[in-house]
Amino acid sequence: MTHLGTLALYLASLLAVYAIVTSLWGVRTRRTAWIASGTQAAYAVGGCVVIASIALLHALLTRDFNVEYVASYSSSTLPLHYTVAAFWGGQKGSLLFWALIHCFFSAIVLFQNRTRNQELMPYVTATLMIIALFFLGLLCFITPPFERLSFIPDEGSDLNPLLQNYWMTIHPPALYLGFISASVPFAFALAALATGKLGDVWIRTTRRWALTSWFFLSLGNLLGGRWAYEVLGWGGYWAWDPVENAAIMPWFTATAYLHSVMIQEKKDMLKVWNMTLVILTFVLTIFGTFLTRSGVISSVHSFTQSGLGPYFLTFLACILTVSIGLLLYRLPDLKSENEFDSLLSREAAFLFNNLILVGLAFATFWGTIFPILSEWVRGVKITVGPPFFNQVNGPLGVMLLFLTGIGPIIAWRRASWSSLGRQFTIPLVVGLALGGLLFVLGYRNYYAVVIFSLAGFVLTGILAEFSRGTRARQVMLHESPPQALGRLIGKNPRRYGGYIVHVGVVLIFFGVAGALFTIEKQITVSAEQSFEVGRYTLLYTGITEREDAHIAAQVATVNILVDGQQIDTMHPEKRFYKKQNQPTTEVDIRPTLVEDLYLVLGSYDEPSGLATFQVFINPLVSWIWIGGLILILGTCVIMAPNPAERQAFALARTPADIRGQAIAE
Amino acid sequence: MAAKQSKFLIGALLIVGAVGYLIYTSIQETKVYYFTIDEFLLKKATLANTDVRVAGRVQAGSIQWDPAALTLTFRLMPIEPGTIPVGALPPGVAVSYQGILPDMFAEGRDVIVEGLYTPEQQLVASTIMTSCPSKYEPEIEERLTRADG
Repeated sequence: MTHLGTLALYLASLLAVYAIVTSLWGVRTRRTAWIASGTQAAYAVGGCVVIASIALLHALLTRDFNVEYVASYSSSTLPLHYTVAAFWGGQKGSLLFWALIHCFFSAIVLFQNRTRNQELMPYVTATLMIIALFFLGLLCFITPPFERLSFIPDEGSDLNPLLQNYWMTIHPPALYLGFISASVPFAFALAALATGKLGDVWIRTTRRWALTSWFFLSLGNLLGGRWAYEVLGWGGYWAWDPVENAAIMPWFTATAYLHSVMIQEKKDMLKVWNMTLVILTFVLTIFGTFLTRSGVISSVHSFTQSGLGPYFLTFLACILTVSIGLLLYRLPDLKSENEFDSLLSREAAFLFNNLILVGLAFATFWGTIFPILSEWVRGVKITVGPPFFNQVNGPLGVMLLFLTGIGPIIAWRRASWSSLGRQFTIPLVVGLALGGLLFVLGYRNYYAVVIFSLAGFVLTGILAEFSRGTRARQVMLHESPPQALGRLIGKNPRRYGGYIVHVGVVLIFFGVAGALFTIEKQITVSAEQSFEVGRYTLLYTGITEREDAHIAAQVATVNILVDGQQIDTMHPEKRFYKKQNQPTTEVDIRPTLVEDLYLVLGSYDEPSGLATFQVFINPLVSWIWIGGLILILGTCVIMAPNPAERQAFALARTPADIRGQAIAE
Repeated sequence: MAAKQSKFLIGALLIVGAVGYLIYTSIQETKVYYFTIDEFLLKKATLANTDVRVAGRVQAGSIQWDPAALTLTFRLMPIEPGTIPVGALPPGVAVSYQGILPDMFAEGRDVIVEGLYTPEQQLVASTIMTSCPSKYEPEIEERLTRADG
């Protein structure tokens, strides 16, 4: 099987080269047969990668420890689902997994566009296959996944215990899907630049892909936070670790693009800016992979460091050179005659939102690579940690939250003062009243007061939009309220789905602001001793031991009391993973809508019977996950099939395609 | 027209300026110097009252851990100490820490300590990071090699 896998990878590389050459040659010589052959080859690349992936899975599932990868990332006692997850648990496998998803997406793109966008497609195929070739090249020549050991170990060294968690089985795939789907808009952007077909066809074609990418980036980041919260055991969900930054930077630029692209659709402006954002998002996904793979920056997440850095850097340099070169070459064609009309307009709100989002991406980038920069420039390595990112991104985030309340409601072009008054009076009053109330109640954390009152402002604005639309339908079309609401969303899913996404974002802000009120306590107690944290009394009753072939665990039992009444029992653990010879901490979390009680068994000293606990009270954390769910739901609403959009798309497409066929013939 | 566009320019410049200002001041306020223990030992005379991050190895036999008070002291020493005269201590720095021990903390482990270097020549750690699990891959290879022999 593994020989077949290796063979498939070599064949895939050759086919990818063939697909690139024939596509570009075909378009140059205007021969459709060549282009068609290139497309077929691109499908075949996918087929080969599927075979290689099956071969690796087969080796993992049959526990073929002679294969170095299998021996390094699984063991005979590793549960089935984690054995499957080991596919992407190590570097070689994750690169193969990357290639697999990339080829899958490429195949979808080629199939979707088998009759459309005939002018763009050869370039799209070539770009996608160049990206595939990069990963296939690594797999063939630098990190072969099917490498065999010179002997057969009787046991593997197991998957890293920190990765043996259910969130971890879905978090990397989600993030990969987000990273990899960013290559589709990028490929179309390059194709548009190469062909000079710079109209909105490429944008409309890739709108769903950009959304899909954004959807999975959001999901991947949320799941990553969830994983960190449950597994890393330090009480938080986000530490501005380089690897986390790698995942959030493309999210910032992708979010910016989703907003600014609306200005291009409406006003035919910001073409260069949008092109730049698409390129930047893709570059950041590759840069993110570089960060996690190269080990140039130390990170708690770098499970798989290696010497791949130079290859990624070279690839990045190539992408940047080609993209910037093409962009400069087409710069004269990307000029727009339109101008912005007024600062009091949706365009302005979106423009500023874009600057802030790119600012967030830049600040995160700067902080992440600062150790390298400072070493180059001054010879001293200077690092910045979470305080830096919180200090910079915090205020920027608050500004963004404010714009979230303005952007979707304010009129396009130019808002009149009377319409502003009509739209914003109620939200402003609610926001200010909320802030005032919190102040009167004694809240003196101004950061939190500002965020909470802004959250009130934004939410009221969105609710008002929903109720205005629903009431209008009720009155004019005599629909019942639920019917009116459903049809309102159904008629304009982009707009109202967007509002739902914003509700999710506001709730995430709300939840994150809860961190300003975190309480932390560390304490060492003996059995039957109790201690207080916040409003809770924790009674530690003792340790029990549990052991199976895979794990040995010490499980503490802690009774939770409020006002003398027992409300719950918690069981934080200290685990020892036998194969990896590694202790880990299993936290126990008691989530409520108001606050999470987060309990860590820090250490257990067997001779003295003393147990050390670390307790966090994390207010409002649940709202982050709730907000995340709403955001995901809202994105699904936006992505739902939409007849009106399809019609517009068909209209926009026709002329270009007719021309495309003319050329092809 | 020009006046209108310049309003946008001013708005944009304000935001760009705010981002730049925030980045600059925050780096000044939160920067931490990163040294390997060897670099640190060379420069330590100039580093009193500075926030530093030092990478080194936990010296065998130097750990003193009081689980009741959650206090830890140990010595951080070079990863390759070179030749040490018989009976002498390897060069290093005393580290003190209050809090829960990281899971992977043990003698001979490579750690990154972040904290304040006091004039009393002690590194008062606020965080101790144990090197990430992938660093143990050599160990795995070792085990596999041993299985080989």
